[in-house]
Amino acid sequence: MMNSNAASSSTANPDAAGSPDPPAPRRSSKRPKYSKFTQQELPACKPILTPKWVILTFLVVGIAFVPIGITSLLASRDVVEIVDRYETDCIPVANRTDKVAFIQSNASKTCTRQITVTKHMKRPVYVYYQLDNFYQNHRRYVKSRNDEQLKKRSKTSETSQCEPEDTTPDGKPIVPCGLIAWSLFNDTYTFSRNKRQLTVNKNGIAWKSDRDHKFGKEVFPSNFQNGTLIGGAHLDESIPLSKQEDLIVWMRTAALPTFRKLYGKIEVDLEENDIIDVILENNYNTYSFSGKKKLVLSTTSWLGGKNDFLGIAYLTVGGLCFFLALSFTIVYLVKPRRLGDPSYLSWNRNPGGH
Amino acid sequence: MLQEADIGVGISGVEGMQAVMSSDYAIAQFRFLERLLLVHGHWCYRRISMMICYFFYKNLTFGFTLFWYEAYASFSGRPAYNDWYMSCYNVFFTSLPVIALGVFDQDVSARLCLKYPLLYQEGVQNILFSWPRILGWMSNGVLSAIIIFFFTTNSIFNQAFRKDGHAVDYEVLGVAMYSSVVWAVNCQMALSINYFTWIQHFFIWGSIALWYIFLVVYGSLPPTFSTTAYKVLVEACAPSILYWLTTLLVVVSTLLPYFLYRAFQTRFRPMYHDLIQRQRLEGSETEISSQTEVSSELPAQVEIKMQHLKANLRQRNQ
Repeated sequence: MMNSNAASSSTANPDAAGSPDPPAPRRSSKRPKYSKFTQQELPACKPILTPKWVILTFLVVGIAFVPIGITSLLASRDVVEIVDRYETDCIPVANRTDKVAFIQSNASKTCTRQITVTKHMKRPVYVYYQLDNFYQNHRRYVKSRNDEQLKKRSKTSETSQCEPEDTTPDGKPIVPCGLIAWSLFNDTYTFSRNKRQLTVNKNGIAWKSDRDHKFGKEVFPSNFQNGTLIGGAHLDESIPLSKQEDLIVWMRTAALPTFRKLYGKIEVDLEENDIIDVILENNYNTYSFSGKKKLVLSTTSWLGGKNDFLGIAYLTVGGLCFFLALSFTIVYLVKPRRLGDPSYLSWNRNPGGH
Repeated sequence: MLQEADIGVGISGVEGMQAVMSSDYAIAQFRFLERLLLVHGHWCYRRISMMICYFFYKNLTFGFTLFWYEAYASFSGRPAYNDWYMSCYNVFFTSLPVIALGVFDQDVSARLCLKYPLLYQEGVQNILFSWPRILGWMSNGVLSAIIIFFFTTNSIFNQAFRKDGHAVDYEVLGVAMYSSVVWAVNCQMALSINYFTWIQHFFIWGSIALWYIFLVVYGSLPPTFSTTAYKVLVEACAPSILYWLTTLLVVVSTLLPYFLYRAFQTRFRPMYHDLIQRQRLEGSETEISSQTEVSSELPAQVEIKMQHLKANLRQRNQ
């Protein structure tokens, strides 16, 4: 058992370097070389939360956020958005008790809707379809695709992870394979105003990086939607995947169960009180899982689509900060406290207690 | 005795190196012991306790956003972020500031640590690592995750997020939320420490910059490697003003509760090191007078403290 004054150093330790010789000028010091870094004395800035800084911070945040909130809210209010929910209305009344049977039957699915434009909409007017309660972000669903196959012609037979939509019963690969492609949305919309058709521009609706790098120019659909269970749209086998923009848009899976996907753009202005006639083909089966389908016409602002949340949140936080700045100012004025006053230490406030 | 003690300190010298070899710390002269305890002991205690609390906080913030996302993905197990973002979280984007905290942080300078030895009691009484503090940091993490998740998903909802009409998808939401997490967690570190050298600045702001650099580099790898992250910042997120505004809103809202708490705490219930920092700030103009003031007040406090400690000791011995 050793202790620090082990005088039992009978084994004379020659390790008495730094020996206590009489102070001689040539005694070498073992002191390490001084550097600011190793001595932890780097030049430093040591900010402290004084009342001045607290109030200043709250004021700065308030002053910055309130204008941002106002401009965001104004931008969002500028956007004109028309949402038309149609999945129930487009089923004939007689079939509404068994919608799934209707949608799976061969009956005509054409449905006409009328949309009234509430405010002048500057072009381009974006047309979206919105699905609710559709979990495009389910792990098993998202996995069900093969990126190699989509991109390269030579990899057409790569269908791993695409089960059950990987091959036909006689072993031929399905291109594009997987559940995402199989469930491609297939409602269509045609718009007309005053009996004149409004063209919907379906070019450029997908991301450029997807068109150019993820979907091959030489990959063509084959054996697609050939099975007994039809999940969605059919694809034209003569158009390469890089030009099948609806497919590309659909395969970029959504984040949340309520999502919109770009269908096309209307390149003309829509005037206030215009009546737009929509002829839509209600093909897609969302009735098995009580999903909702909505058609959305929307303009955009510099901030994007219509969402008041950002503006309101900024205003709330900015307003809250102003309020806090004010209350702290009042507190500091009404009950000033000498900074560094030791009478605030806990053991001075309750002597003997804790 | 050195081995039996919680911490054994050996002194190397004329009588040999046996003590040094069996001790936890070795010093060269007895007078260094004061500095070892009061300066380094205090600093190390604060660094370690803050580091552990902060580590829990940052991982809770990150993990709970994933958890809330699952509620919106029918609990299928789809992570909200790309796999590589998640792998690099604890390695690249949030590790360096913690190292800066754990190795370099100082709340009070060495000179003042020696001048106010009572500061050492913060360690003895375990004030900085008590259960309320640990749970407080953890709930800060959970609250931050809630704010980050709900503010991000409500701002970047299903509407177009850019002027050209593109709607939000999984990639964009993932990047937006993850950016907010990285910013919030690093700025929280900046708020918690009181000592900024070039190292802290470099690590904190560098980690945030590293995240964006990583996004650009990873996003430029071919889609076979980068899967969902392909060109996501360069093409989709960076031109979107909504993305940047959302990040700003979320980060400030996340830090506001903690900032408020600190403002209240330093005003109404300051701890000993807060007071010392303020006294240092008050400046050398009052130093001469306050030195005598403080030193005449200290003995009374020390008296009271010593009585309290003796009472504790008596209780424990019974």
